[in-house]
Amino acid sequence: MVHPAHPPDLSTTQERCYKVPDGYFGQYVTIGIFAVVGVALVFGTLSLAKLVRPNVPAKDKYTTYESGIDPIGRGWSQTNVRYYLFALLFVVFDVEAVFLFPWAVVFERLGTQAFIEMVIFIAILAFALLYAVKKKVLEWL
Amino acid sequence: MVVDGFMSGRHDVPLAQELAQPSVNWHALAPELVLAGAACLVLVADLFVPRGAKWVAMPLSAAGIIGTLAAVVSLSGVETTTLGGTFEIDTFALLFKGLFCVIGLIILAISFHYFRAGHPYQGEYYFLMLSSLLGGVVMSSARDLVSLFIAIELISIPAIIMTALRKGDARSNEAALKFFLFSVMSSAVMLYGMSLVYGATGATKLDAIRSSIGRSGDDPIIVLSVFFVVVGFAFKISAVPFHFWAPDTYEGAPSPVAAFLSTASKIGGFVGLLVLMFQAFPDVADNWRPAFAVLAALTMTVGNLIALRQQHIIRLLAYSGIAQSGYVLVAFALIDPSSPQTNRQAFASALIYLAIYAIMDLGAFAAAVAFARRGGTYFISDYSGLWQRSPALAVMLAAFLISLAGAPPMAGAWAKLFVFLAAINAEVYWLAVVMGLNAVIAAFYYLAVVKRMFFEAPEIREPVEVPYLMRAAMGLAALVLFAAFIYPPLISDLADRSIF
Repeated sequence: MVHPAHPPDLSTTQERCYKVPDGYFGQYVTIGIFAVVGVALVFGTLSLAKLVRPNVPAKDKYTTYESGIDPIGRGWSQTNVRYYLFALLFVVFDVEAVFLFPWAVVFERLGTQAFIEMVIFIAILAFALLYAVKKKVLEWL
Repeated sequence: MVVDGFMSGRHDVPLAQELAQPSVNWHALAPELVLAGAACLVLVADLFVPRGAKWVAMPLSAAGIIGTLAAVVSLSGVETTTLGGTFEIDTFALLFKGLFCVIGLIILAISFHYFRAGHPYQGEYYFLMLSSLLGGVVMSSARDLVSLFIAIELISIPAIIMTALRKGDARSNEAALKFFLFSVMSSAVMLYGMSLVYGATGATKLDAIRSSIGRSGDDPIIVLSVFFVVVGFAFKISAVPFHFWAPDTYEGAPSPVAAFLSTASKIGGFVGLLVLMFQAFPDVADNWRPAFAVLAALTMTVGNLIALRQQHIIRLLAYSGIAQSGYVLVAFALIDPSSPQTNRQAFASALIYLAIYAIMDLGAFAAAVAFARRGGTYFISDYSGLWQRSPALAVMLAAFLISLAGAPPMAGAWAKLFVFLAAINAEVYWLAVVMGLNAVIAAFYYLAVVKRMFFEAPEIREPVEVPYLMRAAMGLAALVLFAAFIYPPLISDLADRSIF
């Protein structure tokens, strides 16, 4: 058995496994600058504003902002549970639109087969609507 | 048949040519199309029949499943791919499509009287059951990460709603919520693993993934992604330590749904895992084989040990189902691409186990549902003296439990023996020993129920009334198990021809 004249060249594996790319740690400086500037910007602008603005506390200023209208009731308000059915039904039309739109764009090039396929697809979605109608989901009691 | 240009994304061809319709082999898709059509039909028909006749959804569903079975039979001997090679028809796919249809029919037989007795959501239940079954049928043919994922979600999502069908019952809601949370989490983990596989190999088709992995070798990212995918599937098949949802979900769900979860849903997960491990990742088997060995040993042992303490028949079957998953997982721990013989045997033993497990587990669930139907309970203590009350039901349940225990004269014995022999031939002796010990532990709790039925005095003497449909289902299941014990080629031949 003949041994190789020189030992295996470890330097290449060393290089591949452990060598840190040039300028790697330099990138931490960039991150650090971003962090310092970000924090300074928030505190700087807020404290600057505090220095120059007038200070007139009033009770109305603490009410909830409702597009300029006086808020009615409390923060926790109840929504009628029946709305969730409409949300579910919306999905039917949403899915339909998502697939109909790209189909319509290239419809002329696709031909009859695509037309039939889309009819089948819409028919399946129509079953969902039919189900909702028969289950009296669309009637507001 | 691979379609050129389908989703190839070449930009040098004119748009019109790129949009050319992929030629779809409609015959290959026939089982799925029939089943999907039947599901829609059931839902619509349910809307138009009067309240008293809602049960017609069941015969309609049965017709749909039989139609699917006919489509599967019409495909026998066909080997083809369609949808750009993501959907494959071969003996393996057809065998499992057939098995899912048979499971569906037995579930229908179990469900009929359960849901007809004043249950408000019959049409919806059968629709969801067919949808979930469709997921299993798609899964058998899926040879692509995307279609595998769609199939497993198609199995899970309707199953979650089915679990919650007893809306007024807090247990049913709890069961569905647990199942939902575990299912979503496992899907997320699995999807993350799949995205890593795609990132590392640039392919979603399983054979392309395999050839790509063959070039890149033991890339850590491949190992990590396989790990994530396996963990995702381990939730679906309720392998220890990812099994916590199963007993609570089975107990809270309507019992026929529990039967569905422990067979169709679990086998769907196993089919996906088999396809992935044997077709996409066999070349890195050295990395994941030990994980499967540990998973198998843990699943068998923990499932069986906890089952020893169960007082509730559904929970007993749930833990027994977990343990049975462990035996199938043994086959995955034997995969060895360098030895085709070992590989074939491991694969065939998993197939045989799954097929026999489905029949015997459904039989046991059917007996439990039949017993609990009229004022009965699910508590094992109430099974005392069932032999004196209803000898036929007692014999049936005993037959299924003996089969689950892996004792003659039922086919469960072959199922365990084939996996055991595969482990011996692969020279993984410690796993074979763990399997043997577990078979002994399992025999104890199965036979404890049998002893209670035959050798203890009943508290009440009235016979348990079993509907004819359930009698037929249990009788046929027991007959198949017995016939397969007497004449094992019945099942082993099928499995032998289904190896890819």
